[in-house]
Amino acid sequence: MNQSEMSRAKRHLDTTRKMKEMLPRFFMRQMERRFSSNEPLAWCMVGVPPELLKAFDLLFEWPENFGTMCASRLVAPHFIEVAEGDGYSPELCSYVTNTMGYCKLTKDKGEPPEESPLPGGMGTPSMLLGSGFICEPRWKWFQSIATRFFNVPVYSSDPLAPPWDIDPRDPRVEDHYLTLLREDLAGQIDFMEKQTGKKLDLDLLRETLALSHKALGYWRDTLALRKAVPCPMSSTDYFHSIIPQMYLVGDQEAVDFYKEMYEEVKDRVARKVGVTEEEKYRLIWFGLPPWFNMGIFNYLESKGAVVAYESTYNVGDFFEVDLSDPLEAIVRRTWQRAVKMHDYGAETMPELCNPAVFGGFSGSSLLNELVEEYSLNGALMHLTRSCRAVSFGEVHTKNRLAQLGIPSLIFESDMADPRLWSDAQIKNRLHAFLETMDKAAGGDKLNDS
Amino acid sequence: MTVNKYNITHTNNAALESEERIKKIKKESGKPVIGYLCCFAPPEIISAAGAIPFRITGRAGEDNSAADAYVEPYGCTYVRNILARAVKGELEYLDGLVISHSCDMVQRLYGIWTYYHTLPYSYMFNVPHQLSRWAQDFFKRELGFFQESLENFTGKKITSEVLKGTLATYNHNRALVRDLYKLRKKPALAIEGSEMLNLLIKGGSLPPEDFTVLLEEKRKEIKRRAPKTEKARRIMVWGSIMDDPTLLLMIEEAGGQVVADDTCIGFRVWEKDVPVTENLYEGLTEHYFVNFQCPRTDRGPGVERFNYLLQRAREYNVDGVIGYCISFCDPHKFDYPDLRDYLKKEGLPLLLIDDNYSFEPKGSIKTRLQAFLEIL
Repeated sequence: MNQSEMSRAKRHLDTTRKMKEMLPRFFMRQMERRFSSNEPLAWCMVGVPPELLKAFDLLFEWPENFGTMCASRLVAPHFIEVAEGDGYSPELCSYVTNTMGYCKLTKDKGEPPEESPLPGGMGTPSMLLGSGFICEPRWKWFQSIATRFFNVPVYSSDPLAPPWDIDPRDPRVEDHYLTLLREDLAGQIDFMEKQTGKKLDLDLLRETLALSHKALGYWRDTLALRKAVPCPMSSTDYFHSIIPQMYLVGDQEAVDFYKEMYEEVKDRVARKVGVTEEEKYRLIWFGLPPWFNMGIFNYLESKGAVVAYESTYNVGDFFEVDLSDPLEAIVRRTWQRAVKMHDYGAETMPELCNPAVFGGFSGSSLLNELVEEYSLNGALMHLTRSCRAVSFGEVHTKNRLAQLGIPSLIFESDMADPRLWSDAQIKNRLHAFLETMDKAAGGDKLNDS
Repeated sequence: MTVNKYNITHTNNAALESEERIKKIKKESGKPVIGYLCCFAPPEIISAAGAIPFRITGRAGEDNSAADAYVEPYGCTYVRNILARAVKGELEYLDGLVISHSCDMVQRLYGIWTYYHTLPYSYMFNVPHQLSRWAQDFFKRELGFFQESLENFTGKKITSEVLKGTLATYNHNRALVRDLYKLRKKPALAIEGSEMLNLLIKGGSLPPEDFTVLLEEKRKEIKRRAPKTEKARRIMVWGSIMDDPTLLLMIEEAGGQVVADDTCIGFRVWEKDVPVTENLYEGLTEHYFVNFQCPRTDRGPGVERFNYLLQRAREYNVDGVIGYCISFCDPHKFDYPDLRDYLKKEGLPLLLIDDNYSFEPKGSIKTRLQAFLEIL
């Protein structure tokens, strides 16, 4: 195994390995459409319901995901440094600064920079569809792009959720928030209709939602299979398999993908096939992964440590909703998720209202369930310097885990900026943490191996 | 009631002085003290409920490590500083806490603070980022929930008449503050920027009627004063919250005059009256949401969103702008490149001071200030 700095991930599932063929096919289709027509192109943020994009048959790109690609190909530092040279602080979200550098180079050169991981880059947007879900930089990000680089219209949706000490089941509170969610969604659709010149096809939206929910149902059930000992699926498979949620949700291709993954993982559970030869430690991962060094999960696996649950991109809270009114279905999906998260305790992350398909960990009382159901005995917390939105609350979570007797390690780096990765130091800390877990458990598993 | 009752002085320790004074006011009045950060949740409603709104301030440069047991090191140092103060028990005199969803860090501070330390009253005032019609409607409904929570806490019903009366007192103070700002447009300086900031910090910690007395006293005192006539570069400050006059004092020491501002505790709150509309929430929404120039609120793309700043710079005949950004202050740090370029195009240079809420190292900051003032 390659354990040098910034190593690419080894995937364990055949299904996720196949993505290496599936995704390029998707990107080629997108690119052909982009080059052969003058269709509108939307740059979107997580939080925008992908089903809406499909229902408008709209070409789209996800700059956040583009950031993960730039990170994994180690070109993000170049783009980030260009943005820093333009005055953007190194403290700002590295997905954002990656995009700002990319945009500057594109604008200056009149074409996407050759370092771009996607052939032809992300294209020139004709609109920006943002979402205020989870953090403030998202509001400023598309505002700055449209101010500085591409003078195109922007719609950022504004999903709010009640603070942790307000009862979301109070009918007046529910009405207060649902009214906002409904009107905001209507505003988003009105914007998209104007920009695309198309009327939203509600029947197509309903069909897309049905396919999307089918795919997500398989994804949710796959994740639940990771409760098995040994854990049948690794973090490297997990983090890579979120991508079809963004690009292919609403297509039969995504249903087939997640179904196949479900069946493969189920088979591994039946045959008791794990990620490592001997599973010594079962961990929960908090925060965004270091996309430039996904091999770190394989490093952990080489020590017998398997991550069985991740706090980000998790759809464990996915809900079945009545699709007869597809717009109300999106609103209800958003609200039900927020209420569920709220029930678990939203003291560190009140902004839980995500109208899209992604979920995420929130609520310290959820920890009790996870520790028991996933047989967890340790936690790793990736404190991402440039993303406070996701990493804020890790100290609080650590405190709550300590009450459950679960040791945890907070280590610092970033999701897209490898300049903040210190390989020897981080590995040293991870190794020392596993040793501590041994001592806490009364054994010495590392030296036993 | 006179201000002198509380021995208000005109030192530069406004925040320290405020805290000692509020304890006395609380004892004498028997009213609960409700601490707040940021103004989206109108202090007028707190006053109308029979409580005393008190703007919580940090202690710039003090050790924040008491916060480490609860929040990450990578976060706004101002917010960490406030939490450290709460952890150390320095804010025990507060009966309540109101935090608005102004920025991510402040919003999240609310959850952590109230989780580990329950106060008799606490409320997080949720604020949309959009300025759409439905966002404004949400804000109005939120005002209603906020008012109701205060009424439940104090047991005092806020009638329309009471709220109107409170708005009148606050608006009177706004007019007095505007009078002082008007003096700053003149070439001969009547009031230093640091002195003005101290006055506003005090204003955030006094019952409104006491602030009226203080403002009137200040006006009289200024009339007796001989304005400073020596020539100095005229500066506007922009950026993160400044609840400590240190940077302004440093600018003044370096030979600049701070004549205008666009920061949280500054002209923003006093610039216009709260319109007294038939439905009072209409006026409060217009003032505290629609017209409240905080970069966290989305005013769409384009540099037009900075027009108010340029207009202010011209009204006050500003030579240059000094920006102040506290570590991890996303809303301001995102705006910086666009604002810098926009002002540059209009012939106004902008110097950015990045700080971790300590104003250190002073020598280095002073050198940068001096160099900036020299090039103006």
